[in-house]
Amino acid sequence: MKRRDEIIVGATILVTVVVVIAGAFWLSQTRLGASAAVHNARFQTVGGLGVGSPVVLRGVRVGRVQAIRLGERNWVEAEVQVYEGVVLPARPAVVAASRSLFGEWQADIISLDQAPDDPNVRRDLEAALAEGDDAWPGATLPDIGQLTAQANRIATDITTISSRIQTVFDSQAVGELQGAIRNFTAIADNINRFTQQQTDIMGDVGSNLRQGSDVLADAAQRLQTSLARVDEATEQGELEMILDNTAAASEQVRNALEDLREVVAVARANQASLVRLIQGADTLMTRLQEGTGTLGLLMSDSVLYQEARLAVAQLRELLADIQANPRKYFKFSVF
Amino acid sequence: MYNLVAVRVAGWISALGRAGHFLSDVTRSLRDVGTWAGLTAVQMRRIGVQSLPIAVFISIFTGIVLALLSSYSFTGAVPLYFVGTFVGKAMMLELAPVLVGLALAGRVGANIAAELGTMRVTEQVDALETLAYNPHAYLVVPRVVAATSMFPVVVALAMAVGMGAGWIASISLLELSTPDFVKGLRLFYQFKDVWFGLVKAMSFGLVIALIGCHKGLSTRGGAEGVGRETTSAVVLSAEMILVLDAFWAVVLL
Repeated sequence: MKRRDEIIVGATILVTVVVVIAGAFWLSQTRLGASAAVHNARFQTVGGLGVGSPVVLRGVRVGRVQAIRLGERNWVEAEVQVYEGVVLPARPAVVAASRSLFGEWQADIISLDQAPDDPNVRRDLEAALAEGDDAWPGATLPDIGQLTAQANRIATDITTISSRIQTVFDSQAVGELQGAIRNFTAIADNINRFTQQQTDIMGDVGSNLRQGSDVLADAAQRLQTSLARVDEATEQGELEMILDNTAAASEQVRNALEDLREVVAVARANQASLVRLIQGADTLMTRLQEGTGTLGLLMSDSVLYQEARLAVAQLRELLADIQANPRKYFKFSVF
Repeated sequence: MYNLVAVRVAGWISALGRAGHFLSDVTRSLRDVGTWAGLTAVQMRRIGVQSLPIAVFISIFTGIVLALLSSYSFTGAVPLYFVGTFVGKAMMLELAPVLVGLALAGRVGANIAAELGTMRVTEQVDALETLAYNPHAYLVVPRVVAATSMFPVVVALAMAVGMGAGWIASISLLELSTPDFVKGLRLFYQFKDVWFGLVKAMSFGLVIALIGCHKGLSTRGGAEGVGRETTSAVVLSAEMILVLDAFWAVVLL
């Protein structure tokens, strides 16, 4: 009975010890048998980083924080344990940062050349680096508490500004502001219309430009064709002939221009007499239109016209009678 | 009135003196290894191994309830993987040691007090003294050593079972994945969580066994006295567990 009790108790204790040790290692993610290198990192403050916090490289856990202690000259030194086989950056640095909003912290191993673009972090890293020994420089990002405190200060400032604005803006100011906003709205509408018009115009201009561009392209095409023809003509000697013809035509045109210039000079010389002729014609026409003068009276007086016609008719009858009876009117006598 | 208070105070001081005297006897009896060492294994089995079923039963349901309560509390604001954190921390730091301690205060403390009280009222203890046996080395030390050493064992297994029950409840009732639960479990884990709970359990075992033995050996008045001292042992053990729980929280955390 006693022996059996001892075996049962011993087995129970053994199982418990195994469970506790295995569970502890499993929960702490400690890798048995894996050797690890320990590096020192120097911080001005480690924030929420603690012993056992994970050490990560590019998001992958590569170790744990083994110890944290206060160092000389107000530095905090952390022992960073990194598993064997992990390839570290050439110039490693450590940034302690929150893993989430719930107080979890981790130590990020980064390359010093690729430090975050944060002036505080860079300043901390440079200060730690300036100490000059083998310890990795370390910096700490603000945690959610600090960010919240900063946000609280900003909110307080905004509240103060809001209260001052509320003090400054009485009902009259609000009315004026509303009027200004309405004016601004009208201006914006006008600008919008103007912009629309300009847009249309620009559209037309663009269209015209496009057409012009097409014409130019066509002209260029034609010019290219002409040049090709010129090139061909040059090869057959036709260009020289065309140029000769062109020169001859130009000479003829020049002569014609000389003749035309002489004609114009003669015309300019006869211009005074022509003007007088026109003025006389104009006077004559005026008098005709006014019914003055012989022709004017003749044109405007119907009685005279009738009498003239009657006289002409009688003259025709007289001539006919003279032809028929010449002796009636003419008498020849010799002596 | 003053007489009553004086009598009570005198009674407390007297009880304290008897307890001190008892502790002194037990401490002196530790040197009699030949007497108590051979009896300890039996007591370890009775106090520790046979207490495992009730400890496992308590921790299973505690783990399930913790998972459900934490998910109920965390809804919306806190990520659900914190269920693992809550279950792990609560089981290791507080609930496994205290609940198992309270349960064993009833089971072990009452058993020791009743057994020794019966021996006392039936004059078996007097017989041991007559036969030149040190009753403390023969009766008390094996029980105290067994309780002190086996309580951490029982509590450690209760921690593991409780976290396992919380994990099963999380994946079956809360649709929480195993990686998420483990992530939460590992989130703020420190080895201190484990040994803090085990140290508390050890202290609980020591106190429960000492109180049970002291109450049992100081029993007077037959069966009624046995019942009275047994009840007193359980009550005092439960109170001392809570006092010690607060004490360790102040000292170690």
